[in-house]
Amino acid sequence: MTLDRRRFLQITAAGVVATLTTSALAGEVGFDASALERPELLTMLGPERVRELGIRYRAAKPSERTASSLRAAISKGEPGTLGLRWSSRGSIEKKIQDDFAAGQTVLVDGWVLSVTEARQCALFSLATA
Amino acid sequence: MHTDARTLESGTILEGDICIVGAGAAGISIALELVDSPLKVLLLEGGGFDFDPRMQALYRGEIIGLPYYPLDAAALHYFGGTTGHWAGFCSTFDAIDFERRAWVPHSGWPIRRQDLDPFYPRAQRVLELGPYKWDAADWKNGDAERTPLALDPHVAWTKMWQFSPTRFGTRYRDAMVNARNVHLYTNANVCEVEANEGLSAVKGVRIRTLEGKEFRARAKSYVLACHTIQNARLLLASNRQARTGLGNANDLVGRYFMEHLEMPGADLVLAKPQTTKTKIYAMDFARRAPRGELALSAAKQREHRILNGTASVEPGNPGDAEFGTFQFFDTTLLAAMRAWSKGGRQGPPPIAVKLGAAGGAPQSTPQFFHLKTRQEQAPNPDSRITLSTEKDALGVPRARLDWRLTELDKRSIRTYYQVLGQEMGRTGTGRIQIRDWLLSDDRTWPSFLSGGWHHMGTTRMHNDPRQGVVDSNCRVHGLVNLYIAGAAVYPTAGAVNPTLTLVALALRLSDHLKKALI
Repeated sequence: MTLDRRRFLQITAAGVVATLTTSALAGEVGFDASALERPELLTMLGPERVRELGIRYRAAKPSERTASSLRAAISKGEPGTLGLRWSSRGSIEKKIQDDFAAGQTVLVDGWVLSVTEARQCALFSLATA
Repeated sequence: MHTDARTLESGTILEGDICIVGAGAAGISIALELVDSPLKVLLLEGGGFDFDPRMQALYRGEIIGLPYYPLDAAALHYFGGTTGHWAGFCSTFDAIDFERRAWVPHSGWPIRRQDLDPFYPRAQRVLELGPYKWDAADWKNGDAERTPLALDPHVAWTKMWQFSPTRFGTRYRDAMVNARNVHLYTNANVCEVEANEGLSAVKGVRIRTLEGKEFRARAKSYVLACHTIQNARLLLASNRQARTGLGNANDLVGRYFMEHLEMPGADLVLAKPQTTKTKIYAMDFARRAPRGELALSAAKQREHRILNGTASVEPGNPGDAEFGTFQFFDTTLLAAMRAWSKGGRQGPPPIAVKLGAAGGAPQSTPQFFHLKTRQEQAPNPDSRITLSTEKDALGVPRARLDWRLTELDKRSIRTYYQVLGQEMGRTGTGRIQIRDWLLSDDRTWPSFLSGGWHHMGTTRMHNDPRQGVVDSNCRVHGLVNLYIAGAAVYPTAGAVNPTLTLVALALRLSDHLKKALI
């Protein structure tokens, strides 16, 4: 079977799918939305490509189509109030680096991305829709 | 000494101690080692000293199976062999290339990398390379810009290439012609290897010229060094005494034909182009500066059960046309390269001109790069040379190539880029986009499927006659005095261009012959 790139999104590690419910997000405190929604990838790929990647990610992951589900997925397992406090861009970059080190990557349109930055792309696509 | 075989009378018998068939990189390397030895060496070259379309046409062959480059353009049939138009890429095999790898069927050499270590520096001199240094750190040349990417060597590393300027045909012509004990015969095409009645030894070779003359050469030992495809063809065509050809009691001659897959595989975007050094990966045709390519560690190959491969790092632009090596180096460019080389290398090399035109304007601080795969293919008994029903002008059946690949070949390329992409991300170096064709199934290949004209296998080395044509000394099983030189004996292809290793093996064989015959 030939897979079209547009449909090809491979989760390469288990356990990366978000499970937090929307209600859990009610406790969101001190959340730095701009850091989450401005992936470092923007400096490499530009906004159009990042937006496209975000759209593709959301299309391939129905459970992560909303901003709240994406934020929850990114924050899962992180320290802080309900795991949702992101005080600096540095902490996100560290999480992305950890993703790559642990093999928590996804292929989106052929790009080898950290699952966190793929979710950031998705957030960016929502924020700039 | 030199004799144009066209001047000989039909029926002449040439006699020597060693008869080397083929004067390319392997054959000339062996003959060079034997100069001034007590041995009388016959060096038989099918072509002359220059390109001749009639002679080149003898290499024309039939292609079935996967598409392939025209056989009569992929290898040269005159003194010096294919070094007459090669690009000079040289690098050493890795230790893992010699190992039996459980995930690579038919892998494993009967010799180890350490067995070749004494011969690589000698081969380096024959090929007129630089110092015997192969670590990227050794090639900074005092230039801080020539710093390898800071990747974890347990994951990925920078493997170096050096570039040989040596055209064996011009560089070693005088050495061969003037050698007291080496007698070079040009225009002497060997059409058949003749064995004794018991098929246990070679008693001679039958030679023909395009003018219709026929004669023979006899020696104590014989070395076939006439190119991977032609070696197999000659053994298979020597079938008057043995129906399936000489050395082919186990139906192995011609099988396991291998190439290196040389195709665009991915793109790289740097995260910090202003501060990331990439100069060591740049191709410098004018100065032949050693160049790096990105390789995965042996540990990662084992972990992911993939083949060995590298990727070149070539600045480019998104949307550039995709070229495999075969598509880029069309026959017109090859002819232009031959003319440029023959004309004293005046002006920019045609390859650089074409690369410049294909790649657009150079970037001062490139951020975007094309990653081009160079990977071994898995040994495959069904990938093979057989004889065509068509015969050449000398009456010898032409070669028929049935090139085949396996799913492991494609999966390995994709996995390579996934692992490299993770390491690029982990280190903050950049991001990798794997090309579409690698994301489809592992059985289909794109229109730009390409090798690198690196013909290997067909008379593979194995100490078990049921698994290989030659033993660890490159002697054909069952024939006490017949040897094979060249990449034809490779059981696996390694990741790198074959010439440095084939010259090293040729020097090892020449040492063996000297011990055996002196």
